[in-house]
Amino acid sequence: MNELQLIPLLPFIILAMASVVTILLIAFRLSHTVIQVTGFLMMCLVVFATWYVRDTLPEEVPPLFIVDGQAALFTGVIIFCVLVIGLFSYIYFEEREENPKEYYILLFLATLGAAILTISQHFISLFIGLELLSVSLYALIAYLRNRNNAVEAGMKYLVLAALSSAFLLFGMALIYMEAGSMKFSGIAEKLPQVSSSPLFLMGLGTIVVAIGFKLALVPFHLWAADVYQGSPTPVTAFIATISKIGTFAVLLRFAQTIHLQQYPLIIAIFSVIAISSMIVGNILALRQQNLKRLLAYSSIAHFGYLLVAFLPGNEAGTEAAAFYLIAYSITLLSAFGVITLLSSREHEAETLDIYTGLIWRRPVVATILAISLFSLAGIPLTAGFLAKFFVLSAGVQQAVWLPLAVLILTSVIGLYYYLRVINTLFGTSGTADVMQKTVHPFFHVSTYITLVVLAGMLFWIGVFPGLVLQGIRLFLLLH
Amino acid sequence: MFTDTVLLSATTPFSYFPIVLQLCAALGFVGLTMFATHFLGPKRKTSDKLVTFESGIEQKGNARQPVAIKYFLTAILFVLFDVEVIFFYPYAVNFRELGWDGFLAMLLFVAFFLGGFFYILKKGALKWED
Amino acid sequence: MQQYLYLIPALPLAGFLVLSLAGRYLSRNFIAGIGAGSICISALITILLSARFLQSPPETGAYTQVLWHWFSVEGLVSNISLRVDSLSLVFICIITFIGALIHIYSIAFMREDRDYARFFASMNLFVCAMLMLVMADNLVLLYLGWEGVGLCSYLLIGFWYETPGNYRAANKAFVITRIGDTAMIIGLFLLFKELGTLYIPDVLARATQHFSSGADGVTLIAILLLCGGMGKSAQLPLQTWLPDAMAGPSPVSALIHAATMVTAGVYLIARMHTIFELSPVAMQITAIVGAVTLFVAGCSAMVQTDIKRILAYSTISQIGYMFLALGVGAWSAGIFHFFTHAFFKALLFLAAGAVIETLHHEHNIFKMGGLRKTMPVIFWTFTIGAAALAALPLVTAGFFSKDQILWYAWSAGGGHPVLWALALAGAFITALYSTRLILVVFWGEMKTTPGHLPSRVMTVPLVILAFFSVAAGWIEWPHNILHVDLFSEEVQHVLPATVLKEGLPAEIVFQLIAVVVSLIGIYSGYSLYYGQSPLLQQWKQSPTVMSVRDFFFSGWRFDQLYDALIVRPFLFITRINKSDISDKLYTAIANVSMLLNRQFSVTQNGSLRWYVTGVLIGILFIITLQLLL
Repeated sequence: MNELQLIPLLPFIILAMASVVTILLIAFRLSHTVIQVTGFLMMCLVVFATWYVRDTLPEEVPPLFIVDGQAALFTGVIIFCVLVIGLFSYIYFEEREENPKEYYILLFLATLGAAILTISQHFISLFIGLELLSVSLYALIAYLRNRNNAVEAGMKYLVLAALSSAFLLFGMALIYMEAGSMKFSGIAEKLPQVSSSPLFLMGLGTIVVAIGFKLALVPFHLWAADVYQGSPTPVTAFIATISKIGTFAVLLRFAQTIHLQQYPLIIAIFSVIAISSMIVGNILALRQQNLKRLLAYSSIAHFGYLLVAFLPGNEAGTEAAAFYLIAYSITLLSAFGVITLLSSREHEAETLDIYTGLIWRRPVVATILAISLFSLAGIPLTAGFLAKFFVLSAGVQQAVWLPLAVLILTSVIGLYYYLRVINTLFGTSGTADVMQKTVHPFFHVSTYITLVVLAGMLFWIGVFPGLVLQGIRLFLLLH
Repeated sequence: MFTDTVLLSATTPFSYFPIVLQLCAALGFVGLTMFATHFLGPKRKTSDKLVTFESGIEQKGNARQPVAIKYFLTAILFVLFDVEVIFFYPYAVNFRELGWDGFLAMLLFVAFFLGGFFYILKKGALKWED
Repeated sequence: MQQYLYLIPALPLAGFLVLSLAGRYLSRNFIAGIGAGSICISALITILLSARFLQSPPETGAYTQVLWHWFSVEGLVSNISLRVDSLSLVFICIITFIGALIHIYSIAFMREDRDYARFFASMNLFVCAMLMLVMADNLVLLYLGWEGVGLCSYLLIGFWYETPGNYRAANKAFVITRIGDTAMIIGLFLLFKELGTLYIPDVLARATQHFSSGADGVTLIAILLLCGGMGKSAQLPLQTWLPDAMAGPSPVSALIHAATMVTAGVYLIARMHTIFELSPVAMQITAIVGAVTLFVAGCSAMVQTDIKRILAYSTISQIGYMFLALGVGAWSAGIFHFFTHAFFKALLFLAAGAVIETLHHEHNIFKMGGLRKTMPVIFWTFTIGAAALAALPLVTAGFFSKDQILWYAWSAGGGHPVLWALALAGAFITALYSTRLILVVFWGEMKTTPGHLPSRVMTVPLVILAFFSVAAGWIEWPHNILHVDLFSEEVQHVLPATVLKEGLPAEIVFQLIAVVVSLIGIYSGYSLYYGQSPLLQQWKQSPTVMSVRDFFFSGWRFDQLYDALIVRPFLFITRINKSDISDKLYTAIANVSMLLNRQFSVTQNGSLRWYVTGVLIGILFIITLQLLL
């Protein structure tokens, strides 16, 4: 390892620095606003650093990391999400009396974990990234510890994440035992000898448990609704986007390196998981009255859809998955942004009756929510439609018919509950108007603008996907 | 033929059958023992048995006294720093081989370390009196 | 110039958006400005564009502009792009120019209406959809315009939706054209399946290589496309919606009949001419449909009493001529008739609208009469229009175009004496009812007192249209009289030239016959309807003649026929199947989903132990799979 190899790692080093800087800022008792702004600038710095190192890509930093186009792409999406979530966090936590400062340390650490997952090519870095993400999340979920459900949600996540980590370690151990390497490419070299070994396959199978847990796939999904509901809304947005993007990125890299899709067994496992996720997620959401829980179920279903793009293991599948993740993150960020904006100190805006007739009271916010729900439902002209379309076409190429059929059928069922929420938005307003919060006009306005921009992006990507697709292809070529 | 390819080969699921057997034996032993002691041993239920065992001394009051949270905080911080100090040991052993690079790396490590320490001090985690 | 192509449909669309979103906050003058202004600017751009096009034709024969690239997957390219060649150019000119005049006219005509903005918004969208239809370079976009036109006609025919009859008329128009649309979309699917593209130039180029002439596949496609055309252009047997479509305001009728909607079928057939040429059978069917339609509709027009219904039947009949011309292979003659017909039919409808408006919404021509003196401008323009409709020789545009069609009906490659005879009979009938219309409405004694006369905003478009109804024909003379063929020369860049049969009498003979027939028609009309004709009285006594008249009046009883054949059996079936059997499947899906929802909800019980069990079940499942496979 030499200094030159550190250059491609620059964005990640800056990301790590962000939490250290935040610690020092807190130690010097600086205000929430300063921390917020500094965090924002640091994240911008990460983006610039990624831009700065683009020419050195792809660069391997042996043995743990590889920084290539795919990693840069997913890191970019992660940083974009954390920028938006950071903005949402300000008004959310400023409303509440809890001390919001340490929140940012944890937020950046968790982001670092997810970012490390995107560049890891070794079980060690995979595990470190995953644990960094999980451990920060335990605290983040239970951050508002005086609130109902918060500690309960954190506790559940802690126990289950620990359990899945145990399985992950066990699987790694089994694979190491058979293949004699923890590096993905090392395992790939040994594949011919070990691929029929039951222990090796069992190792793969147990790793699936950890991945499935993080992505909230059936049957490892049970925590999702409770944790989504109990967490502070920005953290929920974090779990729904960043944590899953990171995990999916490492799954993708692992699968690409060892050609995971060549094992009928693994295909079978993933097919069953995808199918049951799509069915269970959509059906659980049907009568849900709590918007955060509803989005949790919807995200279970959505990662089922995403697995359909993962199953074929081809180029189109990777592109479709990347496009899907981008569209999905923007959609969920705008949905959770609306929830954040509507939540008051006493009440989280999560039950549907708060949203009754919202369109007449807060037309802009309600429209944004409606757009994001349309995108989740996959209505044409929104990003969600094209995302689903690309997934379908990737699946059709490899003829994975059963998951495709289930995808289409469950999308129809899913339409029901998205439209139910939109229907609620247009209902006759029963509740009186909530008092407008003007405590922090600047941040309020910028959150508002961000939401409008996000909704605009949903349309823009849905109508002119060319630029995004081109970008994805360009990035994916760097490997 | 069958024994050769299936039973003796090391790569079929069947070759793990002995492990399954062993697992059964282990679980069976535990179950059997618990079952057996439940039936075999004599049972005498007296009130003395429900009293907390204090090595023969008579018990006084409830052990669940509130302890200051500061105690746990200090304890956990101790564990944290103690564990980090462990990293000095491999460094010390390889001090000569690592040279200046190692020294710089260690300096960085200590700097982070001190950053954390500074944060703890400023937050007042080590202040016993409020 | 090419880069401004998009403005032509975009301006009406912008007008539609502004008016539909903000219409209720705008003043009437502003609405009129936006509504009519957008189309007028479009028309100006079109005029500039065509001037440039004629001066220096583009090398490829067409202006093209890609507006928007949505996505392309595996050969399916979803683009929105425009393409204007000389055929489209003719249509665009007519649509925007006549559309603009109709819009200007509507400013005054609709002034008192409550829904001023809604009216202009729908009209703008109508024009925009029609422009998309003719400017599209692929059939998907064309179909979008096609359906847009259908939607707008529905909105506008039912514009005065408070009268129950009107929305029925709108429904009828929508449902019947839908039948044609369904056939058309099946045709497009087949076309895509066979040729693998829907990009129009590619379709035309590949069709000749892919199909042999007269092959079954191409015949089927051509007939399906023809059905689509028949629905939109109100040809037999899908013609019944057009007379009822008179329920809309008069400018709407003018727009539907002259510039948009009904000519879409003509455009489609001309655009797909290669497909049709490959299938002689489809060509023959087109010609026969046109010939029969023109005769059937003409007969109905002869006995109607509602001024707008007369004009409606006459439109069906004139479109029949266009179909006839296209069917016999006289491509440019058909398009030329569209060109001239647009002017005089718009003129007739607008003038009729003015008459109706002045006479307090009186539609019955026998309650009009004697308007010659009170409304001189309307009288003169209407007469010019009617003369053009009757094809008065040499001085009207209608003569030049119809004469060509009559000649080609026999002499062109697909011509036949019977077709010619039907067309000739149609010409006679047309002349007859045109004369009847003029005489009954404008001569005789005044039966209804006129209200206030139409303003200048309404009359100026009429005068302009009257000028073109006379002059538009002079750009294309019969070959044997004067060698002027500006129109066909231009159109034949796109459409094939007409092939003539050998060994027929000289063209002049046919022309003379046609002239004589239409003059006889005019004379018969004059003798029957000027003053009190004894023959007419005698006919009114005879039950046979009256029953024939009733038969014609009801549009050959097509409505009753369809009612008995289709509507009643369908209603019968719906009555049996009241609780919709096919619905059961969907309710079943919904019920099963709800049931599963209740079952699955049990798993979300909040108990951590159970969640851990879930994870363990998962790992057990994976291991089981491993052992099984």
